[in-house]
Amino acid sequence: MEVKQFFGGIHVPHYKSFTEHKAIKEASLPEEIIIPLLQHTGAPNEPLVNVGDKVKAGQKIGATDKFVSAPVHASLSGTVTAIEPRPFITGQMIDSIVIAVDKNQDKLELANNDLDKVSKEDIINAVKEAGIVGMGGAAFPTAIKLSPPPDKKVDALIINGCECEPYLTCDHRLMLEKPAELLQGIKLLMKMLSVEEAYLCIEDNKDDAIEAVRQENDDPNIVLLRMPTKYPQGSEKHLVKAALDREIPSGGLPFDIGALIQNVGTCVAIYEAVKYNKPLIERVVAVTGQNLKDPQNLMVKIGTPLSHIIDECGGIVEEPAKVVVGGPMTGRAQETLNVPVVKGTTGVVVLPPDMALEDMEYSDCVRCCKCVEHCPMLLYPNQISIYCEAGMIEDALEWNTMDCIECGICAYVCPSKRPITQLVQRTKPLIRELLSKR
Amino acid sequence: MNDTHKFVVSSSPHIKSQDTVSNAMRDVFIALMPITLVSIYFFRFYAVLTIAVCLVTAVLTEILFKKLMHKKPQLHDWSALLTGLFVAMLFQATTPWYKAALATFIAVGIAKELAGGLGWNRFNPALFGRVALVILAPLYAYVNQWFQPLAIHLGPLDTITQATPLAMLRAGLEMPPISELFFAFPAGALAEVSPFALLLGAAYLFYRKHIGWRIPVSILATMIILTLITGENPVYHLVTGGIMIGAFFMATDWVTSPMTDKGKIIFGVAIGVLVVVFRVGFMITEGVAFAILIMNAFVPMIEKATSRPQFGKIKAVAVPMAEKK
Repeated sequence: MEVKQFFGGIHVPHYKSFTEHKAIKEASLPEEIIIPLLQHTGAPNEPLVNVGDKVKAGQKIGATDKFVSAPVHASLSGTVTAIEPRPFITGQMIDSIVIAVDKNQDKLELANNDLDKVSKEDIINAVKEAGIVGMGGAAFPTAIKLSPPPDKKVDALIINGCECEPYLTCDHRLMLEKPAELLQGIKLLMKMLSVEEAYLCIEDNKDDAIEAVRQENDDPNIVLLRMPTKYPQGSEKHLVKAALDREIPSGGLPFDIGALIQNVGTCVAIYEAVKYNKPLIERVVAVTGQNLKDPQNLMVKIGTPLSHIIDECGGIVEEPAKVVVGGPMTGRAQETLNVPVVKGTTGVVVLPPDMALEDMEYSDCVRCCKCVEHCPMLLYPNQISIYCEAGMIEDALEWNTMDCIECGICAYVCPSKRPITQLVQRTKPLIRELLSKR
Repeated sequence: MNDTHKFVVSSSPHIKSQDTVSNAMRDVFIALMPITLVSIYFFRFYAVLTIAVCLVTAVLTEILFKKLMHKKPQLHDWSALLTGLFVAMLFQATTPWYKAALATFIAVGIAKELAGGLGWNRFNPALFGRVALVILAPLYAYVNQWFQPLAIHLGPLDTITQATPLAMLRAGLEMPPISELFFAFPAGALAEVSPFALLLGAAYLFYRKHIGWRIPVSILATMIILTLITGENPVYHLVTGGIMIGAFFMATDWVTSPMTDKGKIIFGVAIGVLVVVFRVGFMITEGVAFAILIMNAFVPMIEKATSRPQFGKIKAVAVPMAEKK
């Protein structure tokens, strides 16, 4: 099948060599885990336990009646020591359940369901119970995503194995090491959504993963697509464009054009939830960067503090370092290592002093149009940045600032070093305010 | 343990390209070196003096205006120096130094700094400075009297007495061979002596991705077609006058050219048309400079008319890339 190319985008340095050939390793037991009650897009959970309670690994400890949400589970056995606001990846304080981890951990009790006998209802319930959210970073509750409004017909399932952000290798290793689980998860999704075909999209800088999945695949309806390596190939809008040549309308969602997109990590989690009733209590995290002694792909229990996994990787070599959670194009720099790994944490990138860029001095736009040339949303980031900087909200809206996906390409290429993405992030809430007044 | 760490925090993206404005400006400076050297070879100290005066004036003007506006001088971005060199390139070597200095002062001070500094100027500063002196000729004739005693005479130079090829073309004189005009012919402004040297520089800018093909190609193609229609020899038009520096260095200026792809073509075609109208129809010598400045004024209008719909509004043009495995 022919793969289309989307407009714009850019070839950023990959920096994947630190971990791409390292097998996933189980991380050691942390002393303490911090489970934020809100680690997804949607409503926060209410704690189901009290301080002093003993909890078992896999036990549900936070839930809510609200529709858009996903419950949280204890990822290890231990004692609840606090339920209090703790620093979160976003820099905010989020109510979290803190658990002192027991030295001796029992093996997780797992069911073994017959996949041929599960119904659609079983699948959606298992996904919901397991607290699965999008594991590519967005962390949208999967059960909600799998229940599109009845007037939207989904006819194509797209599995996102692009991993277009530099440094990150968690999806790459997962596809390479767990192709059977991944394919099982895809089949469950196809059954759940009653779609004929699924497209598994992998960038062509991960040919070993493509080969691993190809060897394992026995279903001709699961089509493997080898995508050109280009950032942001893994963006939902651009993936659908490239795979199906369908364009998500401005302000719309994938199901508006009959597509549904799931990350490969989410597919494996869905398989494990349906097959074993296993909640989402661990995930693969690429702990990488030039500034780590021993970069690794770690299987990390949700709630493990960053400090623990960074120590596990030999610690930081040189300071001042920059610790980014997520990829370097869209991820967030951390002020402290006391923040936990959560369901949407794809990687932890530790950059050395010479790459640890501060917010730098920038100059006026010289209209070189490099951002215009590369903007995958076909916007005019140069104009947008000027209006956002000047606080001209109406003009920013008129130049389609709300369509920006904040991929970071404009700020990456800008020779004037203008923080275009940051200016957009700052202006979007102001535009929403303006729109709500109309 | 964490409290001992101090981390750098900033917003995404956390990696950035190595491109800077000063690198780009320096590249344009480098691209102008071939033509600078050829002009110095022909005009000796005359060229050196003109260039030096323009560079120094440009720097002093930027410092003066930035100070007046309580801003920090941005000399490190090379843009003042570049404007100075461009102004020098637009004058004949025998131009009195104070004339070149005045044009540079207008270019850097008025066309650029008063417009808000690099990035905000609507008109190409160097062309603006050059054309200002043409339009203000009566005023300049008056000013000239004060400065005349300050003129520097560097002794005779054979080459400078020649008529410019463009003037020869207009007067219907017998033209020098095209190859000579193309590689090196010592007459006219500094930038007119060697289209070949300019093309070398332009090739470098193209290689460094600072300029695109749309503007120069549409200017030159339009000129070729129109001169053919009017029965002129297009080759002579391409190798004489300011068309080469105009098409490759002036019209492609980031700040003063349209940002849309279609807009660049419209901009280039319009410049081509105007140049032919000025040259063939009105016999004006600064046709290229006027054409580009006029079109500079239309850039916002062109951009508005040609802006692309964002993703999700239309189907983008798709190019096949990879195969099914």
